[in-house]
Amino acid sequence: MSNLWGIVFKKELKDLFRDRKTVIMSVVLPLVLFPLLFGLIGKGVKSTTEKVTKEVKIAYVGGESSFKKFLSNVPNIKLIETKDYQEEVRKGSVYLAVVVEEDFDKKLAQDKMSDIKIIYDSESTNSQTALDVVEDIINKYKDEIVKRRLEARGIDVSILNPIDIKNEPIDKEKANQGALILTMLLPLYLIIYAITGPMAAAVDLGAGEKERGTLEPLLTTQASRMQLLFGKLLAISVMGIIGTTSSLTGLYIAFKYSMDFMGDVGLNISIGSLILIGITAIILNMIFAAVELAISIYARSFKEAQTYLSPVTIIGMIVAYGTYMMDVKSASTIMFNIPLANVSLIIKEFIIGIYNPVHIAITFAWALVYIIAAILFARYMFSKEEVVFRT
Amino acid sequence: MIEVIGLTKKFKEVTAVDNVSFKVDAGEIVGLLGENGAGKTTTLRMISTMLKPTSGTAKVCGLDLLKEPDKVRKKIGILFGGEVGLYDRLTARENIKYFADLGGLSSEEANKNIELLAEMLDMKEYIDRRVGKFSRGMKQKVAIARAIVHNPDVMLFDEPTIGLDVSSSAIVQDFILDCKKKGRAIIFSSHSMREVEKLCDRVVIIHKGRLVYDGRVEDLRREYNGEDLEKVFLRLVGDKNE
Ligand SMILES: Nc1ncnc2c1ncn2[C@@H]1O[C@H](COP(=O)(O)OP(=O)(O)OP(=O)(O)O)[C@@H](O)[C@H]1O
Ligand SMILES: [Mg+2]
Repeated sequence: MSNLWGIVFKKELKDLFRDRKTVIMSVVLPLVLFPLLFGLIGKGVKSTTEKVTKEVKIAYVGGESSFKKFLSNVPNIKLIETKDYQEEVRKGSVYLAVVVEEDFDKKLAQDKMSDIKIIYDSESTNSQTALDVVEDIINKYKDEIVKRRLEARGIDVSILNPIDIKNEPIDKEKANQGALILTMLLPLYLIIYAITGPMAAAVDLGAGEKERGTLEPLLTTQASRMQLLFGKLLAISVMGIIGTTSSLTGLYIAFKYSMDFMGDVGLNISIGSLILIGITAIILNMIFAAVELAISIYARSFKEAQTYLSPVTIIGMIVAYGTYMMDVKSASTIMFNIPLANVSLIIKEFIIGIYNPVHIAITFAWALVYIIAAILFARYMFSKEEVVFRT
Repeated sequence: MIEVIGLTKKFKEVTAVDNVSFKVDAGEIVGLLGENGAGKTTTLRMISTMLKPTSGTAKVCGLDLLKEPDKVRKKIGILFGGEVGLYDRLTARENIKYFADLGGLSSEEANKNIELLAEMLDMKEYIDRRVGKFSRGMKQKVAIARAIVHNPDVMLFDEPTIGLDVSSSAIVQDFILDCKKKGRAIIFSSHSMREVEKLCDRVVIIHKGRLVYDGRVEDLRREYNGEDLEKVFLRLVGDKNE
């Protein structure tokens, strides 16, 4: 009799896993979304950039000049002679036009300033890419002229660069740029996944039960409302945790294979930290599972549940983004009493290897309070006749 | 076997059920007759412990529903009309088994009962298919099996034939008569005197939450000299409207 919640739990999980929509939304989609997105964007950006930089077609406007010679010696630059360069740029048949003034060389020879005008299309990514390339070339040319002018006066070029900045991390072992990125992103993602992961399941097991008309027979079984609630809550939490896991896996794959920015940044997290982060993620999922189930029980139908749940998502995301830039090192103990912010901060601490027992105790104690409060809220909803039999 | 004692339910300003008392014996089918909003569903929900009475109580097999709701639930099977609530993604067997498990049956007992019911209701062919694509009649059988898998002594039917075609209605009606044969106490709510006439031994008519008639169908017929009972019902209810 006491394990009736276990029967509920098993049935609900089986039911959820047979729902293609739920499985796709909370398992498959998170797993493939980021790799696909990153892959596509990465590839797209790369291929257009490659296309432009392989042969930068630019219109040269103006007479013969030393700059024209310099430009035509750059291997991937293709100069195109044209009259109506503005039209050509607009059409995109050249990426941009370089307009060099008539007495360019004469002015340079007199140590005066010369103008180069670049006409480009601010709405075209190709033109933007070409602009970067051409600006680089002009800068190089400029440096060369500066060097020549200084040398003519017998001055060393280094006079232009009086200070050389060298960054050195306090602790070279831990020079851990990956961890810094992670302290910003991981809490954010974990909170968002904990909100979105259990949602489909919560809607189905709360409002769905009402809408299908299975709630009445269920309430006349030997299972108490608390047992029903507990079994459902556990099933929803499991879906949430699976969702978080597959989202993180997807994200990891995306970073690893589609982009290169994870590759050369050092990242070392201890197993202990990973376990603590995992526990925190599970707790986060349970909190939101309970809140979402309570709201879903209150709702009359799937639609209503979805409507009520969207503000929860938004509020959660606002708080999550609010903690995005928060710096752990300067966080005071009081801040570990702020809902969600404390979870975010404790994850940040775990990532960089701080295990402050006071912070951990406060955060986990609060988490326990939230979970119990959310369960009591759900139970209250489930025991109210007006809610259960709302028509 | 069922004894309803001064049952009353108030929802804020509405009194849905007002001091209703009646009895149902074993092997007896009692029709609970009333117009829309008369309080039939509310009465049955109270007897099945889903709603708490504002006052009054009911006893099921001698168990008071206020004092021992868990034990009462074990004795009761419900089949409520409207949308047959089944889990579409589970098979018929899994649907029934879930309620057997939650009814506290052992696994052997549950499986034995399910086999018997599959035989009785002629569901063997599709018992291991998911119910999502079942016809209304097939679903109805699954719902029946679910309601009775824990062998309840008391069956509560709330307009179980609503929205069913003739053959599906017949399945339900046969099932009700079969329950009677097995000595169960049955309450059957309806707003159709015809159906009540066909199935019930006694009829309890409620109107706006109040009991207006409680007696044998034959007595009712005799009292009104063989007049059409549908008209008798309207008159009984109409009298109170004034
Ligand atoms: N949960 C509820 N909250 C408020 N009022 C309710 C609730 N349930 C029922 N009522 C009211 O109680 C009265 C009786 O309703 P009930 O559903 O018991 O009638 P019924 O006889 O089953 O009617 P029907 O034939 O339409 O099913 C109605 O006036 C209804 O509006
Ligand atoms: Mg009703």
